[in-house]
This record gives sequence, structure tokens and C-alpha cells, in this order.
Amino acid sequence: MYNIILNSSLTNNFALNRVTLLLLLFFLLSLASCDSLFLYNPNQVTLLNGQSNLNNKNISLLASNPPQDTLRFILMGDTQRWYDESEDFVKSANSQKEISFVLHAGDISDFGLAQELKWVDRIMSRLNVPYMTVIGNHDIIANGPDAYKKMFGPLDYSFTYGNYKFIFINTNSREYAFDGTVPNVPWLRAQLADNPDGKEMIVVGHVPPYDNDFDKKLEPEFAGLLRDNPNVNMSLYGHQHSFTDGEYYKDGVRYVVTTSMGARGYLLIKLWKGGQEVKRIEF
Amino acid sequence: MKKVLLLCLLCAQLTVSGQSINLARSHRRWFMPDHAKLQFAGGTGFLSGGPGYISRNRTLETDFLFGYLPEEFGGDALITITGKTTYSPWSISLPNSYYIKPFSLGMYLSYTFGPQFDWKWPKYYPKGYYWWATSVRPGLYVGGKVGRDVMPRTRKRQLELYYELGTYDLLLISYVQNTGFLKPGDILNLAIGFKFGF
Repeated sequence: MYNIILNSSLTNNFALNRVTLLLLLFFLLSLASCDSLFLYNPNQVTLLNGQSNLNNKNISLLASNPPQDTLRFILMGDTQRWYDESEDFVKSANSQKEISFVLHAGDISDFGLAQELKWVDRIMSRLNVPYMTVIGNHDIIANGPDAYKKMFGPLDYSFTYGNYKFIFINTNSREYAFDGTVPNVPWLRAQLADNPDGKEMIVVGHVPPYDNDFDKKLEPEFAGLLRDNPNVNMSLYGHQHSFTDGEYYKDGVRYVVTTSMGARGYLLIKLWKGGQEVKRIEF
Repeated sequence: MKKVLLLCLLCAQLTVSGQSINLARSHRRWFMPDHAKLQFAGGTGFLSGGPGYISRNRTLETDFLFGYLPEEFGGDALITITGKTTYSPWSISLPNSYYIKPFSLGMYLSYTFGPQFDWKWPKYYPKGYYWWATSVRPGLYVGGKVGRDVMPRTRKRQLELYYELGTYDLLLISYVQNTGFLKPGDILNLAIGFKFGF
């Protein structure tokens, strides 16, 4: 008799366990489709399918459109913790006519988290045109460099489009304790020398060479390389959260700095043979 | 040094909750843990586990977890230690010695090891250049659990399955300032764990 009761109670428990287990499984499966439901560590670098090597993918996308004589693109930057503003930026940028691409001048993230890069890509992928990025100081915090490399590609890279060569370089010297390795000046020299067709070259970085976060020991050499190359007339930056535009060293190179998304502004840049135009847009 | 300090703090916390246990069950040495937990996800590792203590009225649990995240799941192999406290005020008894604790509220402080993570920012930064520490993360969660009292030999033990829905400081501040783009689902994450009472 006792055995029978025990058995029936065991069967009951078993049934209950199975129902609980099934419910749990159903619950997990229904949630598993959401991005980042399970967080293992804030510093994990787990990306979505297809979220890799984005700079190269976007350069290929750009290359499929034939270049015009006049090149129009947007320079924006410092998305940091301004997601709502960045969404408004995308709306504003999509209303601009004849834009070929958007350049993000760095500080894609605020805390150097892969999660932040994913959020910004979710916003920027709604642009009508491809976007390319340069790494900012906030993207070098914690596992940021690893996340940037996996998601966007190398920290220093370049591409050509039409009559122009764009050179992207990591200029965040402070994050490397001003150890003389950043920016990579020998790499920049080689990139500037590798210009067989005599294209107009535009150097893009996050921290401008005259900023306190740029290695003072490397500043003269860096600025000198731009000054001494007849094909370099313009260099683009972010970081300072305000617009500046001018020949900082009075040496024939125009240093253009865009503002942050928090300040709700960006630059519309137009380049043609022998000319350039920079227009400030507020949104 | 900073790691030692953190360990001391956690030990001190454990000692406090341990003393109440001593009064409740004098047969057990005060420092012996009351239970162990094994947890999946929740920001403290792919898997994390360790000993814990429960207050005399069985509503407040304090746990010490050692967590590991393998590179294949996290893109980087990371070791994390965590101190967490969970408050579960209500317990509802069910047939067959099952019970439900429908609501829990808790917080944790985790420390992730690695040369790329800092407790104090290096000297080459001006004061206040960045305001947060990258190695230490505080987090908050709500959850619940279902458990059962079992008696394998002479003493009653608890087996519990719990879940926690939580977030941490950096995501929370991102959400608060961007309620247009970010949805609660963007910052919340789920942890599932198992507790074995001694």
C-alpha cells in the first residue's frame, strides 16, 4: 500500500517536472530570438551575423557606384551616448541629396563596449549610403579595440574612390600613454607615398594633431607629412565636440573638425578638382 | 592590492550574514556556507558558481560567485568574481513540498580580471577624463524562483531553480538618456541558476 502511494506521488512529481521543464524551454526559446538576451560579461565581444569587417564591406558597396566629378559626403562623429540624437542625424543625412557616403570621425561608443558599437551600427545601417569609421579614444577603452577590429576592421586603413584617396588613422595617443606608437607615422608616410595616380588625399583621424590628447612628440612629423605632400589639402577630425575649420598651421592644409551628435551637428563636404566646400548642418 | 581589498570587503559582508546563521543553527560553524549556486549568464560569466549564506528569516541571500567566460562564447576569455545579495520577501507553499518565491530583488558587484580593465585610471589621464571604472560593474535585477524541500538523509535541503532579469550601470544610464532608441529589452538580460541548500 505504502509503495503504491509513493509510486503515484513520484509519477505526479515527474509529470509536474516535465511540465515545468517544457514551460521553461518554451520561455527560453521565445526569448532566445532577442539580441543579447544572455549577457555573460559587459566586456564580451559577441557580434551579430554579418556584423564584421564593416568598413571593408561598406567600401565595396561604395565602389559599386560610379564616382561623379564632384564628390559629396558627410563628416559626423562622437555618437557616444547620444543614440536618440544619432537617429535624428540619420533622418537628416538621408534628406541630403547626392551624398556618396558618411564618415564617422570616431568615439562610436562611450564605454568601449561591443554592445554600444552594435547599437550605433543598428542606427547607421539605416543610412541610404555606406558609412566608414575611424577609431576614437572612447573606442579604445576596455575591450573596445578588439570589438572595433572584429566589427569594423583594422585601426589604420585607406580606400580610393574616384580621384580621391581617404586615409584613416588611429590618432588617440593618450590611450597608449603617449608611447610614440600612435599615430603610426611610418604607416602614414607609406600610405601618402603610395599614390601612383596622383590622387587628392584626405587624412581622417579622431584627435586633431594640435589637441592635447595627441602625442606632442609626433605632432611636428605628422603635420609635416601632410604639409609637404602637394596632394594633401584637407584633413578631417572629431573629438572636440565643436566645429572648427581652418589652416591651423598656416601651411596650406585645411583642418576640419566636426561636432558631436550631442551638439546635433555635422558637416556636408563637397570636393571637386581644385576646390572644396564645407557646410555646417544642424539638425 | 585592489583585488585583495575587494576580497576583504566581500569576506566582511559574508561574515555579517554568517553570524545570523550561527544563532539560527548552532550545530553548524558560522563560516560554513548555507548553500551553493551555479548560474548561467547574468553578466557574471558564462557559468558562475560559489557558496552563499541565507539570513535567519530566509529572505536575504548573499552569494560569492566565481565566473568564467570561454572565448568561444564571449569573444574573449574572462574571469569574474561577484558578490551579490538577493531579497525574496515572499514564499508560497505548494503541494509535494514545492514552493515558489515569486519575487526577488537583488544587486551585485562584479570584478573582471585583465590588464585592459582598471579600478583606477592610469596617471596619463587628467583627473575626471573618464568617470567610471572598467573592472568593476554594479548591477541590479529582479527575479523569482521555484524550489522544493527534499530530505535525502536526515536533514531537509532545498533545491531551487531561479531566474533573474537584470542590467548594469552603464546600460542603465544609456537607456535613461535614450528612451527613444533604446527599449527595456535592449538593456535587460536573463540569468538562470540552480541553488543547492546544504
